[in-house]
Amino acid sequence: MIEDGIDDALLEARLLEVGERLAGALPAGMRNPLKAADDKAMELASQDAELKAALFRFVDVVPACRSLDDLARHLTGFLGEVQEPPPPVAVAMRMGNSRAGRAALGAAAATGVRHMAHRFIVGESPRAALGTLRELWRGGIASSVDLLGEATVTQSEAQRYAERCDDALATIAGAACDWPERPALEQDGAGALPRANLSVKVSALTPLLRPDAPERGKHDAADRLRGLLRRARELDAHLHIDMESLDSRDAVLELVLELLAEPEFRDGPSAGMVLQAYLRDSPATLDTVLDWTAGAGAGRAHPLTVRLVKGAYWDHEIVEAAQHGWSAPVFDVKADSDRNFEALTQRLLDHRPALRVAIASHNLRSVAHAVAYDELRGGDSRDLELQVLRGLGDPLGAAIAAQGLRVRTYCPVGDLVAGMAYLVRRLLENTSNESFLADQAKGVPLAELLAPPR
Amino acid sequence: MKPFANEPVLELRRAPVRAQLADAIAARDAAGPLAVPVWIGADTRAGDALVSTDPGRPDRVVARAAAATEAEVDAALATAAGSRAWSATPAARRADVLLAAAAWLRERRLEVAALEVRECAKPWPEADGDVCEAIDFLEYYARGAIELEAGAELLQVPGERNTLSYRPRGVAAVIAPWNFPVAIPCGMTAAALATGNAVLLKPAEQAPGCAYVLVQALREAGVPPEALALLPGEGEVGAKLVADPRVHTIAFTGSSAVGQEIVRTAAETPPGQRHLKRVIAEMGGKNCVIVDADADLDEVVPALVRSAFVYAGQKCSAAARVLCHEAIHDPLVERLAGAIAVLEVGQADRLDIDVPPVIEQDAQERVGRYAAEAQRTGRLAATAESVPDAGWFATPALATELPEDSPVLQEEIFGPLLAVERVRDVEEACDRVDASPFGLTGGLFARNPETVDLVIERTPVGNLYVNRAITGAMVARQPFGGNRLSGTGTKAGGPGYLLQFVEPRVVSENTMRHGLVV
Repeated sequence: MIEDGIDDALLEARLLEVGERLAGALPAGMRNPLKAADDKAMELASQDAELKAALFRFVDVVPACRSLDDLARHLTGFLGEVQEPPPPVAVAMRMGNSRAGRAALGAAAATGVRHMAHRFIVGESPRAALGTLRELWRGGIASSVDLLGEATVTQSEAQRYAERCDDALATIAGAACDWPERPALEQDGAGALPRANLSVKVSALTPLLRPDAPERGKHDAADRLRGLLRRARELDAHLHIDMESLDSRDAVLELVLELLAEPEFRDGPSAGMVLQAYLRDSPATLDTVLDWTAGAGAGRAHPLTVRLVKGAYWDHEIVEAAQHGWSAPVFDVKADSDRNFEALTQRLLDHRPALRVAIASHNLRSVAHAVAYDELRGGDSRDLELQVLRGLGDPLGAAIAAQGLRVRTYCPVGDLVAGMAYLVRRLLENTSNESFLADQAKGVPLAELLAPPR
Repeated sequence: MKPFANEPVLELRRAPVRAQLADAIAARDAAGPLAVPVWIGADTRAGDALVSTDPGRPDRVVARAAAATEAEVDAALATAAGSRAWSATPAARRADVLLAAAAWLRERRLEVAALEVRECAKPWPEADGDVCEAIDFLEYYARGAIELEAGAELLQVPGERNTLSYRPRGVAAVIAPWNFPVAIPCGMTAAALATGNAVLLKPAEQAPGCAYVLVQALREAGVPPEALALLPGEGEVGAKLVADPRVHTIAFTGSSAVGQEIVRTAAETPPGQRHLKRVIAEMGGKNCVIVDADADLDEVVPALVRSAFVYAGQKCSAAARVLCHEAIHDPLVERLAGAIAVLEVGQADRLDIDVPPVIEQDAQERVGRYAAEAQRTGRLAATAESVPDAGWFATPALATELPEDSPVLQEEIFGPLLAVERVRDVEEACDRVDASPFGLTGGLFARNPETVDLVIERTPVGNLYVNRAITGAMVARQPFGGNRLSGTGTKAGGPGYLLQFVEPRVVSENTMRHGLVV
């Protein structure tokens, strides 16, 4: 039995219905992004760990290469470490033996990587992204723009990132005025929802984030973040503060809650933060957030939006903990993350309207669970937002929109150099054998995809 | 016995873990200055010939130590040379004693780290890491000594029995530095004790308090009094130990000048000395990091800042020179300069600082001289913005455009000054590394596997770090020690280290008698 009387069996039955509905609504011919993409390389990579490592290292180094020849030399260097190369790799290695071969190989590889990047990154600048954002909106899908960038190690880089965010807010808000009306995306039970939506990273707003001294980074980022909050309010845009690795979690959480409680931001803007379900202590983090909504954060004009994600730094957290002899801060079994995700989903939905809730997942089960639970609670479907990533969750996003549910696509913007870290993380997710998308690609039956995590 | 695992450092990213530190430092301050005796056998003599102070607040006395007199050094040598019980103790029992010392330190890790924070201005994360490393040495060498006692397998043929066993060499003089004030003396001492030698520990005059705590740990764990003496003092104590015929092994970590002097002195065989001394020396470095054109500056900049400025550059492994491919030299310098400009210089007990003071006034002045030299013949591309004036604070700085023969590029500075040089390619960088008399640590940032192979092949250093920071060697993971004039090539925390403290003996016994194998 679940808290306020929703029976498990009932929930599972409804979940199955919702899941089947969503699966049925996936656009024909592109039911899976892996199948849709013509990148043979990634499919090969998911089957061979060494090849995967080689390709990732190559993708990662592309922006640092100075010529096609240089590109080809890197590629053959990485591929040379694959013990049992499949036939396409052997061909590439042979091409690497001559100057002309390398030029051709370098050009092909660069094109391949650019093609992959374009799947995940909507444009080099906010202005260049406007077409896609408008197209999504017309199709019933909202967006949140994320500005990709190099790491911030200096004050001028932090300043430049803040300026880029400022410009992005203005560019998107300016263009969004002309978008057609989409009532499902613009209004929920708590009020109007801004069309322009920007996700920002605290680690890019300060060079001083230190895991051992969160106050420093918080203090340094605060003024830049205040500036962006003011700008968002002025432009009636939503500002979402992303979460990264555990090293910065406390600093980011405290900063967001402190700033949003400041009297100046009581009337806006609409803002949000992220909860990562793969963290073992995420339920306690939610307690902190809920205490805040009842305390310092009570009475704000816009309820805080909480985006629930599983978390994108799993490997990093596991490795970091192992190298230091610490217990891992993340669940090491995926099913535990999935179960925690569902538990947090329910708690979040139960705490509306003090919060706005965005469930971000490509796992059909997790999405169907949120929708089913909400329906059984008798919720207004406008009060639940679902989120997907550009390049990975597009078909699912379209299916959700087709059901009349509110969906938002997270849209990274930036050039190839800036986007590489993001791209590699996405590719890692894309080729993980444990991922939902991989199961889907393998043709695992729907009933199994929708079964409880185990 | 459980297999060896590194002692986990404090997870300081967790607020409750950080919260314990303030109490620990308050307790240290409340306890007042430590009284460090000369400690030989069961006898202790207090004194105040040596005074260690907090480098960040030189009016705060951390420890008052007696300085060993010539007669005391002599008495300590006599006691050690006469000790037999420890060398006759089975390795497993000696190992138990070392493990008990590890447990003693583990129980008091915050207390010991707080002492390091005060006596050596070692920032909390580094001080904690130092205590963990000390524990690691004890745990690692305890296990290693048990293995070593089993001897080594030899080829056996019918009619003979061949055995190889290892025996303690005798008396070891351990001469320790202040920069890893518990871990390094602990490592050298633990290795000697684990293998059954008697130890005379001469700590750095800047850090007698930390050495005292180490000796307390070992004595309370059960090392017999005659097998371990503490001899605080200045250089002459060490010099006397090195020259004495009763000493068999000298384990030294410190400057190249002193190290070379030790090697020369130890080579003498004065009348009455019936053995050759063995010297294990870990000396200075001028550590270079090569940055190729394909390096990711997002990774390079933080790793360089960490390698060069953590603990104010006072690690022998710290980065001193960056040899950067000309294609990315300018952006690297720009970003590095920006990252150095925001470094927070301040007291070691604060978690929100990046760079603590240097150890003493001499060090502060030395760093200042090199910075001035860099400004005169090159360019100071960056200096940290705020540096406190009270205390031995040195300004973190980045030097560029220096002439190739600049002392800033050639001599060990041992402070927060990093120099960047422009090179045409990785080959030229390797040539420059090869031209250096030092060979301690080195770094490489490059992503082409062929470049990595090339640099591995060409670099003479003892510890090369690829695509990561170049400090923070861990026991059993990165056995540590330099080549060339940086050291004798022995690897602390590695598989071969204990062999330096033992004598191999081979016995070949005829087992054939009248055609019968017995």
